[in-house]
Amino acid sequence: MPVEVIMPKVDMDMARGTLAIWHVAEGEAVKKGAALFDIETDKAAMEVEAPASGILRQILAQPGQVIAVGSPVAYLYAEGEAVVGLPSAAPETSEVMAVADPAPAIATAQTPAQVADEAGDLRATPVARRLAREAGLALAEVLGSGPRGRIQRADVETALARRELKATASQALQSPPILSYATQNTPPLEWSPQPGDLHVTTRKGTGTPLAMIHGFAADSTGWLALERALPRDLPLIRIDLPSHGRSPLRRLAGFADLAKAVVQVFDRVAEGPVHLLGHSLGGAVALALSDIRPRQVRTLSLLSPAGLGPEIDGAALNGIARASTADSLAPWLKRLTARPDGISHDFAKAAMLARIDPDLRAAQQELAQVLFPDGVQAFDLTAALERVTAPTLMVWGRDDRILPWKQALAAPGEVALHLLRGVGHVPHMEDPDTVAALIGRHLK
Amino acid sequence: MNAQTQITEVTSPGETREMSYAEAIRDAMTIALDRDPTVILMGEDIGTYGGAFQVTLDLIDKYGPERIMDTPISELGGAGVAVGAALTGLKPIFEFQFSDFAALAMEQIVNQAAKLRYMLGGEAAVPVVFRMPAGSGTGAAAQHSQSFEAWFGHVPGLKVVQPSTPEDAKGLLLAALADPDPVIVFEHKLLYKMKGQVPTGYYTTPIGKAAIRRTGDAVTIVASAIMVHRALEAATKLAAEGIEVEVIDLRSVRPIDRDTIIASVKKTGKLLCVYEGVRTLGVGAEISALIAESEAFDYLDAPIQRLGGAEAPIPYNPDLERAAVPQVADIETVARRLAKGEV
Repeated sequence: MPVEVIMPKVDMDMARGTLAIWHVAEGEAVKKGAALFDIETDKAAMEVEAPASGILRQILAQPGQVIAVGSPVAYLYAEGEAVVGLPSAAPETSEVMAVADPAPAIATAQTPAQVADEAGDLRATPVARRLAREAGLALAEVLGSGPRGRIQRADVETALARRELKATASQALQSPPILSYATQNTPPLEWSPQPGDLHVTTRKGTGTPLAMIHGFAADSTGWLALERALPRDLPLIRIDLPSHGRSPLRRLAGFADLAKAVVQVFDRVAEGPVHLLGHSLGGAVALALSDIRPRQVRTLSLLSPAGLGPEIDGAALNGIARASTADSLAPWLKRLTARPDGISHDFAKAAMLARIDPDLRAAQQELAQVLFPDGVQAFDLTAALERVTAPTLMVWGRDDRILPWKQALAAPGEVALHLLRGVGHVPHMEDPDTVAALIGRHLK
Repeated sequence: MNAQTQITEVTSPGETREMSYAEAIRDAMTIALDRDPTVILMGEDIGTYGGAFQVTLDLIDKYGPERIMDTPISELGGAGVAVGAALTGLKPIFEFQFSDFAALAMEQIVNQAAKLRYMLGGEAAVPVVFRMPAGSGTGAAAQHSQSFEAWFGHVPGLKVVQPSTPEDAKGLLLAALADPDPVIVFEHKLLYKMKGQVPTGYYTTPIGKAAIRRTGDAVTIVASAIMVHRALEAATKLAAEGIEVEVIDLRSVRPIDRDTIIASVKKTGKLLCVYEGVRTLGVGAEISALIAESEAFDYLDAPIQRLGGAEAPIPYNPDLERAAVPQVADIETVARRLAKGEV
């Protein structure tokens, strides 16, 4: 009997996934556990392992095709096993369409019996099953991190923390927060992930796209406030730096390594020239990109960019990278904004949830050591800034406690410099309307 | 090894003295011979020669051949005399040279000693103690290196203990003597020279009670005899990686301390059983089953793992002998994978 290969359910509210690429060609042998194909969902891209050893035959889904969860995408045959007639046709479009309206992420309304039924075929440890049952959480909505996707205790706890966060966040959204995290409202559907070494998502629109690179220990969800203030039809490209957000963890030897990793991805996602925007460390990367790929950058916008002087608040960077609870993270986050009440406890909780993976935190601590040893910026991009030919905009908060705004004075005369009053290190979060207006004018 | 000297659960506080595991057993027998005239020692070459592992050395000089009895080379005969003596009211401690030779005396141990209290309506008791040097690691090959605790643990009417420290070697032997029914004490040959602080007076270590040798929250390791020390060494290494392992010294195979094991697994959610006996149908199988049947099941966060002896007679070749039983690195690897959710 051939082994069926199905589109797995890898995210809480996943109903379908896009098959990105096959790692094994039809007729080729594959070992159980080896990478078989990549999928993309609304939220994540990941590798799917072969469920058994065998020869890959009867590929039903081609790269780019959207497949409903649980539908077969191919079959694995034993060596010499006769190929049987195609068991069923390729995934039906109607089935895919039928799930277009995603169900609510949390199944609070489900009865325990329903939960148990749905969980029947899932791999989950006894404690994971018990905790999910007690909390009324459907196991089918939990992503398993154990061997062969087994749901373990930590997976349920993470799912429950997310659920609690969503509940508090929806309340928090009623009051005006300066900062917001994507976990508070799921990314709009028009975002689509792009294949590549780094996590990149794009939003379609008209005209030249704006590619955005976030700062150290942040991720591209930090752009939300600015995105709301920018023109609705502006096409956007969000790039997660290595070891940040949803990008894979990477050991980097220095700033040059970091720039190289982003250039490789940039070459793939930027089909033509783009507008480039970077904040802090992302600003330094954007600056380096403009230096390495001058013809691909139409304009450059830098928000409190790194790399223009030795001073930096190393204690805050290390503190943020190291913090393992919302309580230890919040005091450091407060240094980011000019207003002391700019960071709410809910924000710190959400930020901590995005950094819940200890491996990610360890990777960022290591990166901080490499980029900012002894609390000093170990890379200097002032020469690169001199060479940049694209029109350049620089925005800096006068109350920036992480990078002093006086480093902006390193800029050559052609750079348009805006020093905002009452703004700290995160102008795009603290005053998104002003920053959006400045960028909007700059792009024209 | 640090971990070994830290193991002291003094049941009756008082003076302690450093003793080897073998000395602690001799100390227990000396105290028993002094305080109870019905205690006698029996076994092959336990008199002038002092026993195969010198545990009874010089006792014959103090107590004489009436109480320190050399028996002929017939395990069945010797064990039969011991069971008979116990029925008459004596308290014999019968030493086997190697636990492997107990196979020759199965009739007396399994069919007589274990059964008589039940078959005689409770009107007879067999307060005999069988001491059995057990385990591999001495280059003594297939017929002198086995671990039979699961065999005897399978027989209702017997009690089976496996001390891992000098203190417990003494306390459990004195507890075995105080017990009205037959008790089998497995002494691990590699532990005879291990030193530790031992209370000098009379005390007993409770039969049926495990000891938590190290506390942790990541993984529970239930180990016995020499494996306790290997598990502790592995735990020390894992602690350097931030993985805190709880190590339970089983001490008693029958009756088994369900409560301590269940409480620990409810805390850690992960169980690794480490024992020297053959893995299949061994002590670890019983521990795994009791957890699967208990309320701790709903706390399990990974499949239960067992590390036991190879499915083969213990080889003579030293490398193969080591490979045939769990070593520190094996325990470390499995415990780490369990802790990291990779099993």
